[in-house]
Amino acid sequence: MSELAPPSSEAEQPVIGDHHPHHLRRSVGVFTATATSAGLAFAAINFLGIVSVSTFALGSSAWLAILIGGLIALVVAGVFSELNSMWPTAAGVRLYISNAFGGRFALIATFTYMTTVVLVIAADAFLIGAAIQHVLNEPPALAYVWILVLLAIATALNLRGITMAGRVQSAVTYTVLAGTVVLSIVAIAKPGMPIESPFALFGNGALSGFQAIAFALFLFAAFEWVTTTAEEARTPRVITRGLFIAPMLIWFAATVFSLALDHLVPKDVAHGSAYPQLLLGAAALGRVGEIWMLGVTVLTAINTFNGGFLVASRFVYAAAREDNLPRPFARLNIRAVPWLAVVVLAVTSAVVGAVIFATGQWLLLVAVGAALEASVFAIASAALLKLRRTHTKPRSFRLRAAPVLAGGGTVLFAGLALASGFSDPADPTQFSAAPALVVICLGLVATAYVLIVVPRLRRAAAARRVAARASGERVKRRPERPTA
Amino acid sequence: MATWDELQEALDDYTVSCNTNERLRKMQKDWTRVLHFVCADTAETFTMDVRSGEIVSTGAGHIGVPDVVVTTDSETFCDMFWGDLNPMPKYLRGEIQVRGSQEDIMRIDAISYVIWPDA
Repeated sequence: MSELAPPSSEAEQPVIGDHHPHHLRRSVGVFTATATSAGLAFAAINFLGIVSVSTFALGSSAWLAILIGGLIALVVAGVFSELNSMWPTAAGVRLYISNAFGGRFALIATFTYMTTVVLVIAADAFLIGAAIQHVLNEPPALAYVWILVLLAIATALNLRGITMAGRVQSAVTYTVLAGTVVLSIVAIAKPGMPIESPFALFGNGALSGFQAIAFALFLFAAFEWVTTTAEEARTPRVITRGLFIAPMLIWFAATVFSLALDHLVPKDVAHGSAYPQLLLGAAALGRVGEIWMLGVTVLTAINTFNGGFLVASRFVYAAAREDNLPRPFARLNIRAVPWLAVVVLAVTSAVVGAVIFATGQWLLLVAVGAALEASVFAIASAALLKLRRTHTKPRSFRLRAAPVLAGGGTVLFAGLALASGFSDPADPTQFSAAPALVVICLGLVATAYVLIVVPRLRRAAAARRVAARASGERVKRRPERPTA
Repeated sequence: MATWDELQEALDDYTVSCNTNERLRKMQKDWTRVLHFVCADTAETFTMDVRSGEIVSTGAGHIGVPDVVVTTDSETFCDMFWGDLNPMPKYLRGEIQVRGSQEDIMRIDAISYVIWPDA
């Protein structure tokens, strides 16, 4: 059996059902799981995502695209709920894909998937830096200084092993959502532009409407990462509930924000800005509204940086521990933090942030993120279909009408990935292969790495162990069993 | 399938290895946890009490409210406690199951990594 292959039989994997016989001293309930899910998804880049939806949707019909996106997200919630109820572990996504399609493909998919974390951290650092620079009325170049300051703070906190308590994380998430909703309602109550063509989602053409839905689905991206906290949940059902409630909260906040934006800020003005939320705040409440939305934007960074750095650096650590990445990535500092993983993550995010800053291509990131996320949803749906046939493992949640929902979902998500991959968010009347090319490049790099570099790393690790045993430096320590 | 005596012997060695490793003690000085272990194949259970990074007691049965629950087969536990096995690949394949925070799961693996980096 290849080292990358999943366990050969289900007997090797003890069953975890919905009932946990052991109650943990600290465990996550529905309130925190929902906040974690919504907090991971609702990042600063979501405000640009809403503008992208509005760009492709005719008139004031963005809300309809967001509604459809929300309904599709509920299907995703069902898919991940069933997968999570089979394997409730932080290594979940890789385990589902590995058991369905093999270890190598799972590794390629998760390496590519993890690049979205870097993209989101970089994008959020850029967007928050640009927002602070705008509100403080500083020269544009200072935005990059803010990006570096934000990343430096996040890196320092991570290296010191400071993570946010679940309660604080929940408070931040609900404050962000409530702050966005309240300001949006205030904006809607003010006199503004009339609502035009609220149902004409496909008024710019079928493809344009489909692209609007693809970007709407991006608003929910990363909500499924809550499955990485499955081991802390009281029961797998807690994660299921979080997965279903969080998209509804995101849908509501995104919908009222979209309606408010259409009401007070002209589309072309919002579209050309890296901080449409500040424009809405200013249009609704002047300077107070602007600072209000700056506060909301900065708060989103807490969740993004806390969750993003934690998930990505621990993934890198685990990959290095099983010889899928060079061993130095598993090195720990005195606070048991994989310091090289954290530093490389921060430096990579700073470089990507610099590229966004220099090129002004922040909307390209939204399109890349949308294409990557839809691809992951397609793979997860296909994995569920395959696992339904190959694994009889008991599960506490079963997606109803799975052949239709997961089967149709696989095709739909693949279509949405293509729609966003070949879109030009800067000009909705044009096609652009740039997002698809970025995704393909990331996938090819991950594939080449897994097929060429990983086997070498493993051979080197095996040789190192053999040499250590031969020299007596590392011997088997467990005593042999006495023979009868 | 490992016997309880074998497990006990492995646990005793693990306790000494952990408690005498200065770097590990410094790294884990803020880590106070009750760990429950379940052998999936023998239904044997045992508890480890860690205070400020020091393993202060291990014993049969489940004592106290756990912060972490680790479940796998008895052979894997023995190999892990003797330092002959890197637990991470088995965890990533779902063969070692852990309930607890991601940070605690990371710490448990870090113990093996710091004491036996070449396992």
